[in-house]
Amino acid sequence: MRVHTLLMMVCLLLVGFQLQAADPPSKPPELSSIAPGAELWRDVRQRDQDVTGTTQVRSPGADVLINVSGQAWREYRMQELIPLSGAAIAIVLFVILLFRLVRGRIMLENGRSGLRILRFTTNQRVAHWATAILFSILGLTGLTLLLGRSFLIPVFGAEGFGTIAAGAKFLHDYLGPVFVFALTWLFVLFVRDNIPSPKVDLQWLLKGGGLFGKHAHAPRYNAGEKLWFWLASIVGLAVIISGLVLDFPIFGQTRSTMEFYHWVHSIAAIVLIVVSFGHIYMGTAALEATFEVMQTGYCDSNWAKEHHDLWYDEVKDSEEPVPQQQAQPDPGARQSTDSA
Amino acid sequence: MARMKFYCDAERCIECNACVTACKNEHEIPWGVNRRRVVTIKDGEPGERSLSVACMHCSDAPCAAVCPVDCFYTTGDGIVLHDKDICIGCGYCFYACPFGAPQFPEAAAFSSRGKMDKCTFCAGGPEEDQSSDEYKKYGRNRISEGKLPLCAEMCSTKALLAGDGDVLSDIYRKRVINRGASAFEWGVNNSKIPG
Amino acid sequence: MKKLTRTSHDVQQSAPEQATSPVPGALSRRAFLKNSSLMAGGAALATTVSPVMMKKADAAVTSGGKTEEIKTICTHCSVGCGIIAEVQNGVWTGQEPAFDHPFNKGAHCAKGASIREHGHGERRLKYPTKLVDGKWQKISWDQAIDEIGDKLLEIRKTSGPDSVYWLGSAKHSNEQAYLFRKFAAMWGTNNVDHQARICHSTTVAGVANTWGYGAMTNSYNDIHFSKAILMIGSNPTEAHPVALQHIFKAKEENNAPVIVIDPRYTRTAAHANHYLKIRPGTDVAIIWGMMWHIFENNWQDKEFIRQRVYGMADVMKEVKKWNPAEVERVTGVPEAQVYEATKAMADNRPGTFIWCMGGTQHTIGNNNTRAYCAFQLALGNMGVSGGGANIFRGHDNVQGATDLGVLSNTLPGYYGLSAGSWKHWSRVWGLDYEWVKGQFDDGSYEQSKGKDVHVMNTKGIPVSRWIDGVLEDKANIAQKDNLKAMFFWGHAPNSQTRGVEQKKAMDGLEMMVIVDPYPTASAVMPDRKDGIYLLPAATQMETYGSVTASNRSFQWRSKVIDPMFESLPDHTIMYKMAKKLGLDEQLFKNIAVNGEEPLVEDILREINSGMWTIGYTGQSPERLKKHQENWGTFDYDTLKAEGGPANGDFYGLPWPSWGTPEMNHPGTPNLYDTSKSVADGGLTFRARFGVERDGVNLLAEGSFGKDSEIKDGYPEFSDKVLKKLGWWDDLTADEKAAAEGKNWKTDLSGGIQRVAIKHGCSPFGNAKARAMVWTFPDPVPIHREPLYTSRRDLVEKYPTYEDRKSFWRLPTRYKSIQDKDFSKEYPIILTSGRLVEYEGGGDETRSNAWLAELQQDMFVEIHPRDANDAGIKDGDDVWVEGAEASKVKVKAMITRRVGSGVAFMPFHFAGHMQGENLLDKYPEGAAPYVLGEAANTAFTYGYDSVTQMQESKCSLCRITKA
Ligand code: SF4
Ligand code: SF4
Ligand code: SF4
Repeated sequence: MRVHTLLMMVCLLLVGFQLQAADPPSKPPELSSIAPGAELWRDVRQRDQDVTGTTQVRSPGADVLINVSGQAWREYRMQELIPLSGAAIAIVLFVILLFRLVRGRIMLENGRSGLRILRFTTNQRVAHWATAILFSILGLTGLTLLLGRSFLIPVFGAEGFGTIAAGAKFLHDYLGPVFVFALTWLFVLFVRDNIPSPKVDLQWLLKGGGLFGKHAHAPRYNAGEKLWFWLASIVGLAVIISGLVLDFPIFGQTRSTMEFYHWVHSIAAIVLIVVSFGHIYMGTAALEATFEVMQTGYCDSNWAKEHHDLWYDEVKDSEEPVPQQQAQPDPGARQSTDSA
Repeated sequence: MARMKFYCDAERCIECNACVTACKNEHEIPWGVNRRRVVTIKDGEPGERSLSVACMHCSDAPCAAVCPVDCFYTTGDGIVLHDKDICIGCGYCFYACPFGAPQFPEAAAFSSRGKMDKCTFCAGGPEEDQSSDEYKKYGRNRISEGKLPLCAEMCSTKALLAGDGDVLSDIYRKRVINRGASAFEWGVNNSKIPG
Repeated sequence: MKKLTRTSHDVQQSAPEQATSPVPGALSRRAFLKNSSLMAGGAALATTVSPVMMKKADAAVTSGGKTEEIKTICTHCSVGCGIIAEVQNGVWTGQEPAFDHPFNKGAHCAKGASIREHGHGERRLKYPTKLVDGKWQKISWDQAIDEIGDKLLEIRKTSGPDSVYWLGSAKHSNEQAYLFRKFAAMWGTNNVDHQARICHSTTVAGVANTWGYGAMTNSYNDIHFSKAILMIGSNPTEAHPVALQHIFKAKEENNAPVIVIDPRYTRTAAHANHYLKIRPGTDVAIIWGMMWHIFENNWQDKEFIRQRVYGMADVMKEVKKWNPAEVERVTGVPEAQVYEATKAMADNRPGTFIWCMGGTQHTIGNNNTRAYCAFQLALGNMGVSGGGANIFRGHDNVQGATDLGVLSNTLPGYYGLSAGSWKHWSRVWGLDYEWVKGQFDDGSYEQSKGKDVHVMNTKGIPVSRWIDGVLEDKANIAQKDNLKAMFFWGHAPNSQTRGVEQKKAMDGLEMMVIVDPYPTASAVMPDRKDGIYLLPAATQMETYGSVTASNRSFQWRSKVIDPMFESLPDHTIMYKMAKKLGLDEQLFKNIAVNGEEPLVEDILREINSGMWTIGYTGQSPERLKKHQENWGTFDYDTLKAEGGPANGDFYGLPWPSWGTPEMNHPGTPNLYDTSKSVADGGLTFRARFGVERDGVNLLAEGSFGKDSEIKDGYPEFSDKVLKKLGWWDDLTADEKAAAEGKNWKTDLSGGIQRVAIKHGCSPFGNAKARAMVWTFPDPVPIHREPLYTSRRDLVEKYPTYEDRKSFWRLPTRYKSIQDKDFSKEYPIILTSGRLVEYEGGGDETRSNAWLAELQQDMFVEIHPRDANDAGIKDGDDVWVEGAEASKVKVKAMITRRVGSGVAFMPFHFAGHMQGENLLDKYPEGAAPYVLGEAANTAFTYGYDSVTQMQESKCSLCRITKA
């Protein structure tokens, strides 16, 4: 796992540098400077607003003689979005790796109790996994379109990547609207217990979630989870709205509208993706006995006591013994124990 | 090597749209797609001028830069072409292009635009020159026949010029010299239109 | 059925498939060589013409192949641009620029650049169709001709031949136009006319009565020599775009100032140095206002006037009244602008004067055109290269159709309708004059000098008034009965005013026959259940023949593709019709008929043998074909061939090309140009109006053509004049026999013309142009307010004419309309014009997807102030209600292009009627892509006092939000 992560990180960083090298600070596209009507063209170009006129052609934007926002958008995409998002992903993965190296896998202090508590209903789990799967597909397809040109074309060739990208675009465009429903569903199911309880949450945060020693009290969801929930909801809303604007170009959206929403969509999505790495790591490999909770819906009593003590106090009456065949340690745990 | 360019002389363009329909004619362009268009600024007012716009075959082409699948390429003549087999119809080239050159046959829900289509400088695409595949996807390949783009060849007033940039500059220079004083005179009376 | 398979669908499918090798490949070698050689030789043109080749063909060059290159001529306007069509296995697969064509150098406007759409023809009328119980029914050609013919014969019996109206077309080739006119004559009526009536009839009348011929005097190319260019009521950027190629050449290379006078700040005005925004309908006022400055500053060419102009003193008297204050009061143009523009014309000679329908389509259209002529005469701009009256005609062959007399007031060649004219043509046709006369109704409904005039010799109803021929009380019409049947043979009704009444007239007819490649609005306007026949005509791309461009040049069109679907060429349809009516033997006496198709070349030969008046005699099919094949050998500036098979000829043998084809006259590039010998295309003003009037000499004084043996004015030539001059013996014996008792117009041997020219003389004499036409209602042009005027304060000083009882067979109203004040209810002046994408009624161009996409909505231009007053925003639907209460629902376009108080509508749309969409009424699959209200639905009554030209440039309306 560590090797993989490392490799990925190096790749991403390299790509980031490559992009930097490949795109020198761009100048306006070179036009003919002694062209007929050159003065007019120059006038027209040296403005910071679109030059519009009239035309008999009816396609959107046809009346714009020079689209000045395109240049800014190009610069944003090529100089900022692609290198920075690449870097951001790399950095987050690096931090996670570092954390892993420093902190290792966090085991249950008291081992498994043999008792379990129902933490997620089936409904909740389905909603979570639906959202998670959609999120992953959208994230991966999105990243394919964003970064694929840089590091997938060398692998698959232009034609091969063209096919992949077409598939990615198709999935992204058709699953995007489904994500809207999944996220809404998730929100409705989880919002109640994610309402902040300032005192506890603040304390939890101050104690660094108990990751580095001192135990931190936490209700059903700790402040970290709540932050993720609200981040996912609010930034997710931005992704959704901007995504819908981009996905349905049938209301005469202008180029600058599209560019603006693309800007929103890309930043929001990268934030979500980057943070989701943390969530994924915490939910899978970071803590013993965590991944199974979303798998089965049940958590070990000791797990509840250690991570969500306030909640455990509320629900401890519902403890029940773990049926034999279900008590499987998660594979991640074994792997990490092996290699650590 | 020649660097192919379009120039449009605003002093001459009269918005007759010949360039637009010549293009449709030559490449059988469907309704709704316009590889070339004429934009008039100050329509109906003193100083009204028109310019015929299509892909300008930029040297550092923004469309090519932002294309997520890298489907653009520049020919030895400096003509910017693209590969419709690779194009995924994302519309990015249209956002980036300063001239609104890229066109899409559809604008439907779920971002379906179809394959991007744009002015090819009548140079077809990556398919074999003058093959029927090339014709279907990109229209005629006049360059391979030793001819220049039809829009410019049919321009009513020879406002629109196409060809090697150096040659075009020469022509334009001659025109400006010819124009002499009159080029700067227009509009003297126009500023005083009653009503 | 076989023809039906060549649908556009097939074309689209097959073209790409065949593209593999033959389409582009076959062309390369030849085209490349041709183009590159042109480039090498064309360096001088480089500033005007785009470089053709800059790069070696690097593609594999395939040899042979089946692609044919066919030369033809654009059918969309009178510029006459050359076209090279590429045809493969009968399918029109490509269009190449005709770089070596002397008129356009490969250039086109939107219409010409998309003309290959003819090869798709998706929205064409596909087979003969008949309206039965309100539904369109496909019928066979035989059934159609049979039923139509029977009905015609029935009407002939009950109401007489004058009850059938033959409405022809400027879209016909010369041969078809001539045949059509002859057909009407054989049928026995003068009720035959075409679009020229409503486009340049006032020009033809005004100009012909000023200096002899009613045509553009110079050419588009000759503008290269102009030092100044004045355009009034003309917007060539939209109507004749390729003309701008020539205008810009003069503007850039000669530093020629461009002056535009127009109520709208047109796209042409945008490229002008001087722009004068006049109130619609004040042309005479502005021209006299300009001439006021000319006379005030003594800028007139006194010597020219003394030698070659009659009546300028009368003009001067009228002009005196038009001081700058009065000019501004009437036209709205301030003195400084008028002065500047006039000075530009006076300082830069020769200057050319261009006008179009903005000047002609008025109740005083003939006054306007004559005022323009007087202006050019005063400056001495006539008869010189770079000067002239460059009247841009409209349709591709409106000049030819006019020359060939598809008019209710003349036989071919402007011979008129007198007995002598009929005898001349009967002779040419090889028919007995009495038989021809017998074809007519035997009545007499008009008197001249107290004597009855036979109906054969009276002008028919003009097309502008056919409506009234149906609707007017029978007792008021000077013919036996009302019109009962109409042939619309290539005519769009929406180009005519009074749309609502027109619909009523259509409803009132017994039969309508529409012969056209498209159903046209005539098919959908009336609320009829039956009695309409649609006959699919082939386009000019599907047949061949000659066409006369605006500059009088003949061009030969080759057939590009076979007629599509079940369509037939017009002359074939005429043959079928004539056969059914039993006229085929007479009509085709000198003309071979192959199957059912009359031989085009034979028709042209017959034209050559009879059209002596205007020199349509030298243009034999052989010479025209030679010109077509070698069009690259003609000079771009002078139109003269230097070397090559047509050496010395002017391109297209611009008429007059005197004498027989064997005489090899090169054609006349510029009319009335005395600097050339007549044999080389020179000419004097025509002696058409006598030799003297009230003791004043009408012949030229001291002015004569180069090489003229008579060093002064002289009358027109006849046998007597030749004898008097002692030149009679220059005729051969045969010529003498033919010329005895004849004159230059009627001598079928051409001998008189030959001998006159041999001595350096113009066959038609050498006279003065007349600035005062004493035979017209206003001998010296004067300003008269339009019938529907918003300037009530000017009515008293500039009133219109008195009503007339019988004028071209019909009562015609003037004063009774103007007396009523409409300006309160209808405060906005309404004018109309063209769009570059469409032509005429627009059925053809609105059915061309490549063009239709560019103009999808009918609109009205409104000044922001008027729009704000009416609460209208850009793009709103508005009602434009004309002063006669018919209204159209269109989109508002708010623009300063029009002045405050003026609104403009383009006239190419049809298919909506007063807010109702008539799409369902078209035969299936034959509706144009774009429909819209016809501007002329809202236009009103008003006709020129000489020619019955309709007033469609100046009426009143009210605009409200819909
Ligand atoms: S599509 Fe636009 S950006 Fe690309 S080369 Fe053409 S003009 Fe330049
Ligand atoms: S054809 Fe020439 S003049 Fe006409 S709109 Fe195009 S560039 Fe302008
Ligand atoms: S419509 Fe007139 S100007 Fe346009 S291409 Fe045809 S002939 Fe030329």
